[in-house]
Amino acid sequence: MTPSVRVQNVSFAYQRKDWILQDLSFTVEPGTFLAVVGPNGAGKSTLINLIAGLLPPSSGTVSLDDRDVRSHRPAERAARIAIVRQEFVPVFGLSVAEAVLMARTAYYGPLGFESDRDRDLATRALESTDTLRFASRPLASLSGGERQRVFIARALAQDTPILLMDEPTSFLDLKHQVAIYDLLKTIGLQEAKTIIAVTHDINLASQYCDEAILLPPRPDSPTTSQEGHPPTQPPPYRVGPPAEVFTAEGIEQAFGVKVFSGVVGAEKFFIPLGKMAKDAAGTNRP
Amino acid sequence: MAHRLLSPGKLLARTAGAALLLLAVMLLCSLLGSESVSMKAVFSGVPEAGGTNPDYEIFVHVRLPRVLLAAIVGAALAASGVTLQALLRNPLADPYILGISSGAGLGAMLAVISGCSWTLWGRSPIAVFAFAGALGTVWLVWAVGRVTGKFHLTGLLLAGVVVNAFFSAVIMFLISIARSQQLHATMFWLMGNMTEEDFFVLWVGGGCVAAGIAALFLLAPKLNAIGFGPEDARSIGVNVERTQLAAFAISAFITAVAVSLSGLIGFVGLVVPHAVRLVFGSDHRQLLPLSSLAGAAFLVVADTVARMVVAPAQLPVGIVTAMIGGPFFLVLLVRYNRKVSWVR
Amino acid sequence: MARWWLLSILLGAWLALGCLLFPSRRADAVSDASPATAPLRIVSAAPNVTEILFALGLDEQIAGVTQGSNYPPAAAQKPTVGTFWQPNIETVIATRPDLVVLLTFPQQQSLADRLGRLGVRCLTLEIWTVDDLFDAIASLGGATGKEQAAQRLVADIKIRIEQLQTRLAGKKRTKVLWVVQREPLRVAGRNTFVNELIELAGGENAIGPTLHKYPPIGGEQVLACGAEVIIEPAMMPGLIESQRTQALAYWQRFANVPAVADGRIHVIDGDIVSRLGPRLYEAVETIAKCLRPELFGE
Repeated sequence: MTPSVRVQNVSFAYQRKDWILQDLSFTVEPGTFLAVVGPNGAGKSTLINLIAGLLPPSSGTVSLDDRDVRSHRPAERAARIAIVRQEFVPVFGLSVAEAVLMARTAYYGPLGFESDRDRDLATRALESTDTLRFASRPLASLSGGERQRVFIARALAQDTPILLMDEPTSFLDLKHQVAIYDLLKTIGLQEAKTIIAVTHDINLASQYCDEAILLPPRPDSPTTSQEGHPPTQPPPYRVGPPAEVFTAEGIEQAFGVKVFSGVVGAEKFFIPLGKMAKDAAGTNRP
Repeated sequence: MAHRLLSPGKLLARTAGAALLLLAVMLLCSLLGSESVSMKAVFSGVPEAGGTNPDYEIFVHVRLPRVLLAAIVGAALAASGVTLQALLRNPLADPYILGISSGAGLGAMLAVISGCSWTLWGRSPIAVFAFAGALGTVWLVWAVGRVTGKFHLTGLLLAGVVVNAFFSAVIMFLISIARSQQLHATMFWLMGNMTEEDFFVLWVGGGCVAAGIAALFLLAPKLNAIGFGPEDARSIGVNVERTQLAAFAISAFITAVAVSLSGLIGFVGLVVPHAVRLVFGSDHRQLLPLSSLAGAAFLVVADTVARMVVAPAQLPVGIVTAMIGGPFFLVLLVRYNRKVSWVR
Repeated sequence: MARWWLLSILLGAWLALGCLLFPSRRADAVSDASPATAPLRIVSAAPNVTEILFALGLDEQIAGVTQGSNYPPAAAQKPTVGTFWQPNIETVIATRPDLVVLLTFPQQQSLADRLGRLGVRCLTLEIWTVDDLFDAIASLGGATGKEQAAQRLVADIKIRIEQLQTRLAGKKRTKVLWVVQREPLRVAGRNTFVNELIELAGGENAIGPTLHKYPPIGGEQVLACGAEVIIEPAMMPGLIESQRTQALAYWQRFANVPAVADGRIHVIDGDIVSRLGPRLYEAVETIAKCLRPELFGE
């Protein structure tokens, strides 16, 4: 039974002064594909870290299956949640295959070697992200997009019921963006995985995701509040099915950009309208 | 995909091969020295009627202990170097980076200056004080580094640098007020020296170092994971704090053992891990055992050269390790540079 | 977790096994008890010990010396077993010594320990002062069955020194600055055997008591010490003349020091005065000649 993720009245501030998230509450049922959308600095990555149990909330709780996520031991957490990040840290070279197989570390035998099952999972993960052909190459020799797919493969190899992804498609070309979303949706349906993905692509999110959460922008001025306590008037966030969350007004409010919204079949789409964008006559005029 | 990955079979084969190579090197080097020793005479053993068999004496009581000592110290330093480079994610890390060298040196100096004369198992007080000094300093650096919060790497490195600097200053001060013979004794010790130890000391030291390396091998997969950063390692289920503490403590322990046996020998802990990594890659399950065996062989060879090159005098081993190790490493770097990927 | 326990148990068993296999060794360096028979092969680990052995008539029995044993000339022909700071244990063993004579320096001590563990008989002599020297000669005589030769040697040295003392009696002591190294400037202090030689030769050290045996000193102390004679032991015998020229040039900057003003800067043979050995009288005499040249008709 895949666990559900419950975020209850969570607020977070770095060093108790810089309030990023304020009084956030929502639940993610098993098998849901949730998109986390919002402007830069709104706290999307922070939210991912909070859900993964890597950061403690300043107030409120994040529970995994009705148990505080921070109370899990690292190995337990790793068996339930896999994370795909943006950074790339390793100093010494590893090959792609070694990097993906490393996700199975918690399951290694007594002498520190992987089993056949581990190798199978890793191979399948590489296949599904179209990176099997890079298996022997050093990780550092891949392009940004290829590396990103390898990191997704890593998370898939971890074989967890919940996947957290921080901008999984930001470096990918169109073909691979769609391929990844297809993959995630398929896995979500076939294996009932819960997927929470931070993304900037609102249109793809509306097409694929079951739920979405739109975070408000961080206030420009420091909110007047007592240190250590969140301000009493939290700005609004929206959570729900994409059709409800993504409205032209909502997006304009969150991102500060005018959008043109249209409908194709049952799907809504949004196109940002900058000041210098082409108008109906096809000319660029402010 | 399988051909690039490490499997138990491959690891066993490579380790066995390296071990055989080490044995061959040790045997060869115990036959070399400033005196020529005939194996026939060695095998005839100690004469029953009293009198001496100098070939036997030299081989069994001078050469063998020395070769064994070099192997033990070389293995300890190389394994420790591998571990610290993994923990600190820094290719320039060596076993002494967190204050062990100055701590051991200070311990040795205090032993000499205090004129303390009691012995442990027949070993001079210098060795014991150096061991205590090394471990004490590591503990101090660890404690200071933790003040910067949750094992922040930069804090730890800075603490190591500061403690090293401070203790080195104290050592300089003690040197300036030391009497000349004490001075000579300590300088000689600090430059790294291999002298014959009796078999009990070798047994104990060798056992501790072997156990330490085995323990580090058990931690190897976690060290691999830590190479991706602690956040990432944590998310795949590695208890990062516990792994770091254990690896750090074990590595400090075997380095302290090595230093108490033979003084400060540089280069082995820094270069041997890189050389092995260039040829075999960064998987620590392989890197650890192979580096240990390579470090042992390297130091045995270096010590043999140190013994023979200006016989009957001897060079300090540290000079030879630098002079052999440097060019050798450059050659390896040039040949295998396509495998090297330093990423910032 | 189980793996760690297994590892600890294995280590414990290994250590316990070690205690069984190797009963504890006491580091017995065989001391200078009288031998049943006089040793036939002797190794000397220090140049002054070599000189003493020759002086006792044991030159035939010397099987090995350390580099630097250059007096008497026959000593230089003997096989070497390494340097004074690093005797080579393999070579020592290969000479099959019955007795190895060493000094109380830490490196030589460790060699004595190791040789003792191998069952080689070692005699460690402490030769820091003139009295130590006389005791050492006696010990060595006792250990090699040459007690009478030893007594004669000691007596001989003592008589000649006493005769010198008589000639020097009543004379005011000359202030001596004994310069071991010029750059940086290091001198012999009062707690060295060199100081004893100076005093036996009728001089006194221009430098007061110091912490170090061979302290580095600064220009201030040189000017303040009021040395009447400056003595520099030459580093190598062939270089006495050239070192004298350099010394004269160097000391000109201290033109106010009496020794420099009077031109009493002496460079002497370093060998004789750098070791406490049977040539003790010659050493003292050489110094006395620098301090009181008029007594020696120079």
